[in-house]
Amino acid sequence: MTVLILKTVFLITAINGALAVLLVIAERFFANYGECRIRINDQKELTVNGGISLLSALSSQKIFLPSACGGRGTCAYCKCQVQEGAGPLLPTEEPLLSPEEINKQVRLACQVKVKQDLSIRIPEELFAIQQFETVVEQMADLTYDIKRVRLKLIDPNAIQFKAGQYVQLVSQPYGKVRESVQRAYSIASPTYENGIVELMIRLVPEGICTTWVHEVLQEGDHVQIIGPMGDFEMHEGEGEIIMVAGGSGMAPMVSLLSDMLKDPPKRKATYFFGAVTKRDIFFLDEMAEFEKRIPNFNFVPALSDPQPDDDWDGETGLITVPLGNYLSTIKTENAQGYLCGSPGMIHACVNVMKENGISGENIFFDPFG
Amino acid sequence: MKLTPQEKTMLDLFKPGTVSKDGFLGQDSRHVHDIVEADLRSLVRLGLDQNDVADRLSHFIEAGKKGLETTVDLGDFTVQVQWQRGLILCPFGDKRRLPKLMATVCNKKLDQCIRYSQLNVHMIREHGFFEGEGSPFRLNPAALVHLLDIQPTLNKEE
Amino acid sequence: MEGLSPWILFFAAIFTGNILLTYFLGMCSFLSVSKQIKTASGLGLAVIFVLTITAALNWIVYWHLLQPLGMEYLRYIVFIVVIAATVQLLEMFIERYSESLYLNLGIFLPLITVNCAILGVSLFMIIRKYTFIQSVAFGAGSGIGWFLAILAMAGIRERLNEKKIPAALHGPGIALIISGIMAMAFIGFSGMVQIQ
Repeated sequence: MTVLILKTVFLITAINGALAVLLVIAERFFANYGECRIRINDQKELTVNGGISLLSALSSQKIFLPSACGGRGTCAYCKCQVQEGAGPLLPTEEPLLSPEEINKQVRLACQVKVKQDLSIRIPEELFAIQQFETVVEQMADLTYDIKRVRLKLIDPNAIQFKAGQYVQLVSQPYGKVRESVQRAYSIASPTYENGIVELMIRLVPEGICTTWVHEVLQEGDHVQIIGPMGDFEMHEGEGEIIMVAGGSGMAPMVSLLSDMLKDPPKRKATYFFGAVTKRDIFFLDEMAEFEKRIPNFNFVPALSDPQPDDDWDGETGLITVPLGNYLSTIKTENAQGYLCGSPGMIHACVNVMKENGISGENIFFDPFG
Repeated sequence: MKLTPQEKTMLDLFKPGTVSKDGFLGQDSRHVHDIVEADLRSLVRLGLDQNDVADRLSHFIEAGKKGLETTVDLGDFTVQVQWQRGLILCPFGDKRRLPKLMATVCNKKLDQCIRYSQLNVHMIREHGFFEGEGSPFRLNPAALVHLLDIQPTLNKEE
Repeated sequence: MEGLSPWILFFAAIFTGNILLTYFLGMCSFLSVSKQIKTASGLGLAVIFVLTITAALNWIVYWHLLQPLGMEYLRYIVFIVVIAATVQLLEMFIERYSESLYLNLGIFLPLITVNCAILGVSLFMIIRKYTFIQSVAFGAGSGIGWFLAILAMAGIRERLNEKKIPAALHGPGIALIISGIMAMAFIGFSGMVQIQ
């Protein structure tokens, strides 16, 4: 009897063992993609170990594609053209790409696995994107839910960017959040102060990154940022400049205004800032300073629900009201609109601009979703 | 039981720190499908279905959007909607991304408020998911129906 | 079984003794994955591969390992282990060479392991005492038979998608009715060829 049991156990173990060894060897073989070459824009060539996503492969070689979701396949920021070697379109990519993009071989870099040699095309500007090691020099409250964060760049210690661009902030795990995430924030600091980056960050209820910034991040902490990215910038023109931004959307406007200090435009500029009550307004002194020093610049804040003790004597109502009133008094043929802020506000104001004769091609805003 | 690659990523998405800071399950130890079943049974007892609830929640969001973050007065209710940049991913793995709209609706007569997002509306409509017990955005079906005065839609076929 | 040509066995396994429509083995993935022709044919090919390989491997393991040692009673456990290992290998292969098929098949790829048709074929070949060549022919034929059945089912279901079906019959309801009718059609083949 014992012999029987022993024989059984021995045989089963032997068979299982043999098969397990076979599987381990097979996995080594199948999962090993060897070295793959990635050819970029027909100029640069990188060599990476296969088996990782294109996004990770590129960032391991210090080429950063924008990514807000950290490779989860949800933000579609990491689109790039893969001419050869990507394999068939994955069901995880399809819903995020338009038919034209699919025709042009646009893929999501975070979903494409590097299994063989690839040939890709990415915009030249992306080569300027770097990862910066920074330290939090200062954090201050602008309002009850917006913080101003000043980061001093350590390595590299200077950044070249255009006013209106953004950086991706890398958050760290905290509390129940076990992963780091990346979120995009517009740069508020002037382009000529290239040793620092200032951001305006508004707390989003249940937001992973903004909660980290507001509740965990301290002065003196080290933070990584990736950038600069984005196409929102000032365009040459003859018509008036109409800026509309509320809340943390003011960040790129401050950077644009700082540029105007150094290089005053010959065009008239007006900045419409919409808020609800007085506690949502900030930077009034700074804006007054800009008004003083930039010729032809006007700052127009409007409160949609001023409280009695706000003691408010400025514009009231939704920002669309003073905006529309102003636009109806000026020539809008060549006017340009620059917007930043909540999608609802942008949508409403773009409508007001178009109704008042500003053409769609002259309206600019960062499509942050 | 072995999970498909999709199910593994899906269950991860419900945990804190992936899609939202506190996740969607709160302290609930039940499986997502059990939570959905239990809540849908409550709805059936109240004589309503997912679409009734989702429609009512959408109605408030649409009304509130017009206020551009100012509180809008709708008679018996007030609603304030905040719209943040970016999109939030539905954790059910249906690849839908919803705008980050957050609505706070207050019932003046009951003097009570609730807070929910566009993602909640989608999850209720498409998946019958009201979030787990203890989650900051959980909407208890019975309380929700009472507070928002949700009626069954007319001309429902039997 | 002596004297039975592997070719006859091969064709019999596809048509007259169809593992799915005559013996009703392997129904679960058949009903669930037959909604789209592409995925159905992907799964069908996977099943052909697994059936052929496991029929061969299990034959060797049974007649050259278990039987000499007098431990035939272990065949249930050992066959399942061999099937599981084969399916794992197949999974790795598919994940590497066709990621979209891998994602589309989802849970049904590892579920091939517990597909009763696979174990059924291995056990049948033992009971009927097939030779090695006969077993391989039987395995391949059964796989192709299963593949044809699921392909036909997917084709029919895709066509029926555009037609009006009573609401209560959507999904599993209509699938079972279709399989029943297909099985009845295959009854016409019964008795044509003696394969056991």
